[in-house]
Amino acid sequence: MSSADTTLKHYFVSHEQQFDAAKLGMWLFLVTEILLFAGMFVAYAVYRSWHPEVFLQVSELLDWRLGALNTVVLLASSFTVALSIHFVQKGENDKVVVLLIMTLVCAAIFMVVKYFEYSGKFSHGVFPGAGFEPHGIVDGKDYSKYDIPFAPQFFSIYFVMTGIHGVHVLVGMGLFGWLTTRVARGHFSPQYYTPVELTGLYWHLVDIIWIFLFPLLYLI
Amino acid sequence: MAHGHHIIPLRTLSMVFGALLFLTVITVITAQIDLGLLNIPLALAIAGSKAILVVFVFMALKYDNRVNLLTVVLGVVFVVVFLVLTLADTEFRGSLGITEPAIIEASPESSDTGSRMP
Repeated sequence: MSSADTTLKHYFVSHEQQFDAAKLGMWLFLVTEILLFAGMFVAYAVYRSWHPEVFLQVSELLDWRLGALNTVVLLASSFTVALSIHFVQKGENDKVVVLLIMTLVCAAIFMVVKYFEYSGKFSHGVFPGAGFEPHGIVDGKDYSKYDIPFAPQFFSIYFVMTGIHGVHVLVGMGLFGWLTTRVARGHFSPQYYTPVELTGLYWHLVDIIWIFLFPLLYLI
Repeated sequence: MAHGHHIIPLRTLSMVFGALLFLTVITVITAQIDLGLLNIPLALAIAGSKAILVVFVFMALKYDNRVNLLTVVLGVVFVVVFLVLTLADTEFRGSLGITEPAIIEASPESSDTGSRMP
């Protein structure tokens, strides 16, 4: 056994086997994530099929332009992550650092847009659950006219789904910050870059969740 | 190449990113047009295509160990089971969703008040 190679755990035969085991474990975790969000998507499907006209009307209060902006931002961040994997496999770590920072910036833009969306809703009484009391006029839309039966259900689903998705984005930002310092410190090579690969997989799943949330919440 | 990992060419990655942006534009445009019942399946089909592009290319499942594909497919199968069985219940509950107060009137045939009592 090579004493210099500290990245290969003694219970694995090779880097290849270690990498494959880690990746399968990550995919299993991602399946549990898919099932977590599936619960919320099923709740969405049930309530939308019960009150389709309410979903249609109330979703007007969400600004599709901000949703589209965030979609593009997340797609761009997925692209930079895919590029960072490409370059870490080639051993060009200075490019990896730049790409991971770009990913982090995209994630931050996403959260800033989300902050403005949420605070815009809260300031006009659009809260999840019992606090729902829309008022005020924004972009020619009189919020008080949206105080209709079952409207709070739509917004409870909206806040819970985008909220839990947003928590995932924040976790991703932490992971990318940590990864960036590790790449900069030279921890990874074409031989060993498992944390970059696994964080990339996680981030792509966060992107996929948003790919479904955007048309289902903003474009009804 | 490091221990046999497939390095996805920059050209492929860029084309997928372009396709994802294009599909985003398409989904925004088609949502403005009223297609009746078709709007939801179309939106889901476009989102599904985008998800497939991300999973197979960005997440490299296309080049990956087959056991990972099996894991994902099984996960998605159970999401479909979850959705279909739940809707099979909630879609067929009849009048349970009516929330307006109403008086339930018993028809004479079904009325058995006292009739079986001696």
